[in-house]
Amino acid sequence: MQDKEKNLLLEVDALNISYKIKGDWIRAVSDFCMELKPGQIYGLVGESGSGKSTIAQALMRYLSANGRIDHGSILNFMGDDLTYANPAQMRSLWTQKIKFVPQNAGAALNPSMKIGKQMTEIVKHALNINGKEAQKLVIEMFNKVQLVDPEKVYERYPHELSGGMQQRVVIAMALITDPELLIMDEPTTGLDVTTEAVILDLVRNLIAERDTGVVYITHNLGVVAQLCERVLVLYAGEVMEDAAVNQLFSQAFHPYTIGLLNSIPRPGITKRDSLLQSIQGSPPSLRERKDACVFVDRCPFVIDKCHDIKPGLEKIADNRLVRCHRWEEIEAGELSFKTEEALTINHELNEQSETIMRVDEIAKHFPVQRSIQNALSGKEPPPIRAVDGINLSIRQGHTLGLVGESGSGKTTLSRVIIGLQERTSGKIELLGMDIRNTVRERSPDVLAKIQMVFQNPQNSLNPYLSVRQTIRRPLMKLRGLSRQEADREVLELLQAVNLRREYAARYPGELSGGEKQRVVIARAFASDPDLIICDEPVSALDVSVQSAVLNLLARLQDENGTSYLFISHDLAVVGYLADYLAVMYLGQLFEVGSAKELFNPPYHPYTEALVSAIPVASPEVRENRILLEGTVPSAQNVPSGCRFHTRCPRKIGAICEDEAPPWLGDGEGHFIRCHIPLDELRELQNPLTTETDSA
Amino acid sequence: MNNLQTTSGRQIKAMLKFFRDLMSQPLSAIGTVIVLFFLFLAIFGTQLAPYPNPNDQSHDVRLEPTINITKLQLGDYPFGTDRLGRDVFSRVILGTSSIFRTAGLGTLIAVIFGTILGLFMGYSGGLIDEILGRIIDAMLALPALLLALVLIGIVQNLDFEPGTWQSSLGDNAVLLVIAILYVPIVARVVRSTTLDIKTREFVEAAIIRGENASYIMFREILPSVIPSLVVEASLRFSYAIFLVASLGFLGFGASPTSPDWGYMVNDNRGGFYALTPWALEYPAMAIALLVIGVNLMSDGIKRIVQKGD
Repeated sequence: MQDKEKNLLLEVDALNISYKIKGDWIRAVSDFCMELKPGQIYGLVGESGSGKSTIAQALMRYLSANGRIDHGSILNFMGDDLTYANPAQMRSLWTQKIKFVPQNAGAALNPSMKIGKQMTEIVKHALNINGKEAQKLVIEMFNKVQLVDPEKVYERYPHELSGGMQQRVVIAMALITDPELLIMDEPTTGLDVTTEAVILDLVRNLIAERDTGVVYITHNLGVVAQLCERVLVLYAGEVMEDAAVNQLFSQAFHPYTIGLLNSIPRPGITKRDSLLQSIQGSPPSLRERKDACVFVDRCPFVIDKCHDIKPGLEKIADNRLVRCHRWEEIEAGELSFKTEEALTINHELNEQSETIMRVDEIAKHFPVQRSIQNALSGKEPPPIRAVDGINLSIRQGHTLGLVGESGSGKTTLSRVIIGLQERTSGKIELLGMDIRNTVRERSPDVLAKIQMVFQNPQNSLNPYLSVRQTIRRPLMKLRGLSRQEADREVLELLQAVNLRREYAARYPGELSGGEKQRVVIARAFASDPDLIICDEPVSALDVSVQSAVLNLLARLQDENGTSYLFISHDLAVVGYLADYLAVMYLGQLFEVGSAKELFNPPYHPYTEALVSAIPVASPEVRENRILLEGTVPSAQNVPSGCRFHTRCPRKIGAICEDEAPPWLGDGEGHFIRCHIPLDELRELQNPLTTETDSA
Repeated sequence: MNNLQTTSGRQIKAMLKFFRDLMSQPLSAIGTVIVLFFLFLAIFGTQLAPYPNPNDQSHDVRLEPTINITKLQLGDYPFGTDRLGRDVFSRVILGTSSIFRTAGLGTLIAVIFGTILGLFMGYSGGLIDEILGRIIDAMLALPALLLALVLIGIVQNLDFEPGTWQSSLGDNAVLLVIAILYVPIVARVVRSTTLDIKTREFVEAAIIRGENASYIMFREILPSVIPSLVVEASLRFSYAIFLVASLGFLGFGASPTSPDWGYMVNDNRGGFYALTPWALEYPAMAIALLVIGVNLMSDGIKRIVQKGD
């Protein structure tokens, strides 16, 4: 017993955290426990509102002013109970032994101080060394986190660094004092997949070198599978399941975990193969939590006992905990998820369906304001080439997925097509008609035919209009229905997006994120459009809600024969919903093909990097990462030749820098823009899908 | 119909909740009570004042103080009388309605036109916004009181047939001046909020639907502007009271016989102050109290509105 305790870095038991809200203390986290060993990366997974950030703050003893750790909680850090540690003690721990990496690195750095200075301040204070030594240490650390040109970074201000570089600086800042405990709160959530892959790789290597224990908070099970040794699944402030990563991903025992795992789209699986499973409903709010199983309202296996008795956290095997009355039945395989509503999606691609939209050599250049220097020398600065010659076509009832990192011009392209932004050149044809530049010039008929679903459901609905008013407007305006007809139609649309009739009278403030996005989708479908542009429609939603929205989109498409232009940075999501994919980089397309083929070689080196960067939610697939260095170059100074040559891991030589690559086709509708012949590419690239299959 | 009822019921509920929030904090509750008290005086002033005619004077009771020292008892005139024998108490009460009318109505007009202008500038952007913005900057560059004096001079010297509606402009010069002065200030606040709101996706969704500019401005954007507009309006109101009093003090706007607080302060300063200090002090206190009250209330409104965000 004594030995065991010595080995533990962090021992948390019966941790209860409450917040004071409008005079009442309300429990946000109850009965939390975990044991962290040195050198271990412990994943904490949960949806928003599950209490994961609250736990992180409590572990640091840094709860907000209205929060408290309740009596009886045990929080042992290296043998000391921190529950009653005074602020001075905590401060000395924070300087060296316990460090925190926040989600938003940009906000964590002081914008008015050079990076190097901020770092040396910490080192000088924490390690008691002089400035010169500190500087040496900082530069060494910058090297370890693979910052290019550490000396230069040292002299820069935070705003001069990209998001990925800022995150590295913050990680360097946390690790430089050789902390015992590192708490990372969604450190890669705001980053591109490619950057995320690099950062995860970095964290894994840095932690392997030392004995730091890491609590890694995330909502992304893929990241957990790639990085962590153990994982703890949180729901509504309670631990649902706690297991080693391998065990959890091979068999989960809690219905919530199973639901989560099943709801993640996996690369190579599309809507035509199988629909995603989703967890119905949404998590309870702090005040709604009952004295029963917290998951009771959403659980597919619910029995009477679940309503009456709150399940305890049971130790079911060596190092495995689960909070469910029925885990034994789940283990024995006696319970299985019923496949929700049999969805009839056409399992075959209809190659014959007509093309409803064609985009021809579309370009959008943003002029750059002349600086005084330029004006004096009479030079015109080059414009920002956000979209630079794109050809696309979309067939009726199909989905075209558009992927690329941020800064590749996806959103600009969608705004040009919908008419929110004027195009510089090119043609857009809808149902054979040439359509005009902007919304103002287009006829109502054309407007009704293209609609849009936005990324952020929070801002997509007018907070002062009820759901009925929101959906009624396009019905009356674009379909010309009378008020009575429109009101009837509103209810039908609500039903189509799986919302009850009562929702018509509600205001956006009373809806959850997923519900809001359903209303947005209903509004988009109200005018009976032929094409809906979906700009990252699920990226702002929680995982358990995401899959339901994706299924909804798939079903509505099937019922109405609507086409989608689906934009996302998440390849797994796009891959699931799309029939065809287009990969965009720096304003141009680099690969076009069917969604199925995209996850199989040959692919463009850029696509290859994107695909390999997906954090796959299975711990076996950790190899074969292709890490892209740096960020997308400025669209004002696009690289010569192949635009991707500056970051391409498969660059073959001068030809890449001098000549724009040709489109190579395989004769079956798959096109790649590269100097390397397709056969050679196929040989270079190992198929990823076979690996997933064997896993 | 049912839909309409629930909407208005909602609004009433929201307003009640707003009032409760306002009263929940001591300072804003005090401010609100002060403002409501003066509003009550403004409405029922003629019924409440002992001498409903502000110019009722009696030569026998000139220079009467609040407390009669020789008799050591409260006098018949709670605030005393001035040098002409007019009841200061009645005059202060009767002055409330004019200050509320001038400052309140002036602010209201400024808010209405400022909102329209601000929405228009913010939503159209570009050259229009640039030009109007410069004009506003130019207006705001001048001290408010100076600009007010110039504008009053212009309005009062406009030569109109007596009895026509234009001639009433002269009578309401101060009200008009307040409206003109505060339109640009309100417009600026509305414009900046509009700039923020118009980038939201729900506005883009309206554009995609082909809605016209006025629908987008008034139906989609305006509701989100209202919270910051309410804060600004309450703040403007307190400044307007201040300005009305200042102009009254300088002898503009109010006719010498009307019970204007500012004018009363001016009228009773100098040599008369030694004789009847109360005739100056009570109206001055009324001004201060009302301004403080409005300010406290507007702080409370701001707190509620910002918390709501």
